[in-house]
Amino acid sequence: MFKIVEKEALNPTVTKMVVEAPLVARKAQPGQFIIYRASEDGERVPLTIADYDREKGTVTIIFQIVGGSTMELNTLNVGDSLVDFVGPLGMPSHLDGLKKVAVVGGGVGCAIAYPTAKRLHELGAEVHSIIGFRNQDLVILEKEFEAVSTRVVKMSDDGSWGEKGLVTNALEKLIEEGNQYDEVIAIGPIIMMKFVSELTKKHNIKTMVSMNPIMIDGTGMCGGCRLTVGGETKFACVDGPDFDGHLVDFDEAMHRGGMYRDFEKHAREAECNLLKKEVE
Amino acid sequence: MPNMDPKKCPMPVQDPEVRNKNFDEVALGYTYEMAVEEAKRCLNCKHKPCQNGCPVGIDIPAFIGKVAEEDMEGAFEILSASSALPAVCGRVCPQETQCEGKCVRGIKHEPVGIGRLERFVADWHREHSSEKPKMPEQNGIKVAVIGSGPSGLTAAGDLAKMGYKVTVYEALHTAGGVLVYGIPEFRLPKEIVRQEIDGLRAIGVDVETDVVIGRTLTIDELFDMGNEAVFIGSGAGLPRFMGIPGESLNGVYSANEFLTRINLMKAYKPDSKTPIQHAKNVAIVGGGNVAMDAARCAKRLGAENVYIVYRRGMEELPARREEIEHAEEEGIIFKTLSNPIEVLGDENGYVKGMVCQEMELGEPDASGRRRPVPKEGATFTLDVDCMVMSIGTSPNPLIRSTTPGLETNKHGCIITNGDDGLTTREAVYAGGDAVTGAATVILAMGAGKHAAKAIDAYLKEKHGK
Repeated sequence: MFKIVEKEALNPTVTKMVVEAPLVARKAQPGQFIIYRASEDGERVPLTIADYDREKGTVTIIFQIVGGSTMELNTLNVGDSLVDFVGPLGMPSHLDGLKKVAVVGGGVGCAIAYPTAKRLHELGAEVHSIIGFRNQDLVILEKEFEAVSTRVVKMSDDGSWGEKGLVTNALEKLIEEGNQYDEVIAIGPIIMMKFVSELTKKHNIKTMVSMNPIMIDGTGMCGGCRLTVGGETKFACVDGPDFDGHLVDFDEAMHRGGMYRDFEKHAREAECNLLKKEVE
Repeated sequence: MPNMDPKKCPMPVQDPEVRNKNFDEVALGYTYEMAVEEAKRCLNCKHKPCQNGCPVGIDIPAFIGKVAEEDMEGAFEILSASSALPAVCGRVCPQETQCEGKCVRGIKHEPVGIGRLERFVADWHREHSSEKPKMPEQNGIKVAVIGSGPSGLTAAGDLAKMGYKVTVYEALHTAGGVLVYGIPEFRLPKEIVRQEIDGLRAIGVDVETDVVIGRTLTIDELFDMGNEAVFIGSGAGLPRFMGIPGESLNGVYSANEFLTRINLMKAYKPDSKTPIQHAKNVAIVGGGNVAMDAARCAKRLGAENVYIVYRRGMEELPARREEIEHAEEEGIIFKTLSNPIEVLGDENGYVKGMVCQEMELGEPDASGRRRPVPKEGATFTLDVDCMVMSIGTSPNPLIRSTTPGLETNKHGCIITNGDDGLTTREAVYAGGDAVTGAATVILAMGAGKHAAKAIDAYLKEKHGK
């Protein structure tokens, strides 16, 4: 059992949890993920490691409440335990040797982009963070990004926070200003990572994306998370989740991500009803 | 006076038209009377050919003799001296090529139903015995076992009985390996696996789930933690795909994914939180036992038509005869001499069909089986909305890529020194599918047994005993 030691709502749909998992904390590196099950009959859900404290033996996860299983996770409080919390899984991000990097985070993807930006900062790189949200109410980790970035560009779809527009608009502007990046790292919705990759391809800047396909075991035994990268089949859980954005077949990844949409909708409604009943 | 009936006492089974709609166990097992009657068919041969056919060397005539005398607990004691998982093996071993294949009664008539009797005795013990297993005398030496499948559990059980302090590390959230994620409930109820593992816990084996060796801990760290030997029983879980166009469409599963969702995550239950596609027409590509399991699961999920698509003929199907017969009885359709060459998708990216190449059999290949060759210009399209790829698995690279000095062959299988399972690293042993590539439960158990013996010999010498 894995005890929750901290819980904080970062915005109405995004929650941060700190979980006691000493073995995971000891090995975790930026870019890796965990798989949790909230309860005995729960499904296995992958979440990227947002932070870790090797001494305290804790791992931080940040999740968006999007469906039945994240709702179930969000019902747990400090002192409660998750039945399963396995990791660290996947390959760590390759960050060594980078001198100047643009880190692009979209929505809850910022929770994954943040440890990457932090690690780059620790390694002495110049970090330009571009973080985008739909609106002001959904902003997370603003202060944290400011602390680890040379420059932070804030974007919102409706202009209620920072500048109005998409993260790609901001990135294009920075590139046109003459910023020469060793690498762009983009983490967020697939559609955003696709457009970032299309933009950087034009400018010939190496781009890494963190893919988030459907997973079950997360150890390479089922291929549910497979992607086509440079024409080859790759398993995101063992070969990734980071891949060269110029080689990923994003359209295929989007199709595969929507495979269980109807089931997920039903599960979300079922969980909602359950929670309502508990409130009554 | 032996029972000279030429045929095995038949085992009651669920009716095919009933069982292909539920996940309950198909074979219902012998009654007490049936077991005693069948046991009397054993001639108690002095040279025991059946025992030589058993990879773990159970004293078969001795345990069957006890059943005939109606001493079920005595029979169980003999069984458990050699086998850590008799309730499992009695159900899933291919007895026709092992113990029963060597039975003298089988020369002229049907062999003794050894597997069925093993199953009966194990089930009887579980249901009737309240006796707690005795904790073996401890020698204080720690051994780590990687993987809780059949080889790991057998090695762990044997080492624990020898007095070692054994910890089993399992990557998934439930122990059992292929016994829990691969073999379906209707062939092997998961409750039985759980109870067999509880039996190991009772003799002091620790089972740590949610630990991925190669990620959470490495083999070198297991030694740092005080383990003096390590057994790798991590299996062959990496699925193969065909590499044909359309394989990434929604509705194309590896058999491992399909079966893991169903068996481990219980996706067949209406209230499951793990989804599975409930397809109308399903094609399973491949002809092994895993393909039969996937096909029979698909039928039980409500598919109207389930096809086994296999590139050789009926005679060449690698699955057990009994599994093929069960599948046929349940309405599975066999499309043999057919090889998929493309998966067709609809406008939403879901599978809507597959194009198959008709095949014919040519000269025997290196495996001794006749090689399938495409029939020029003969293709056909099968309307399916789900495809399950069951064309084999290979060992996962996680452990070999994080363990310096551990050598593997070109298929990724761990290289061992003959029967004892010693790898190219001192004090590291391996067995089961991690060494052989995908094989059978009982061969994995046999490998676990041999390795446990070798580990014991190594550690005794090291400690000067």
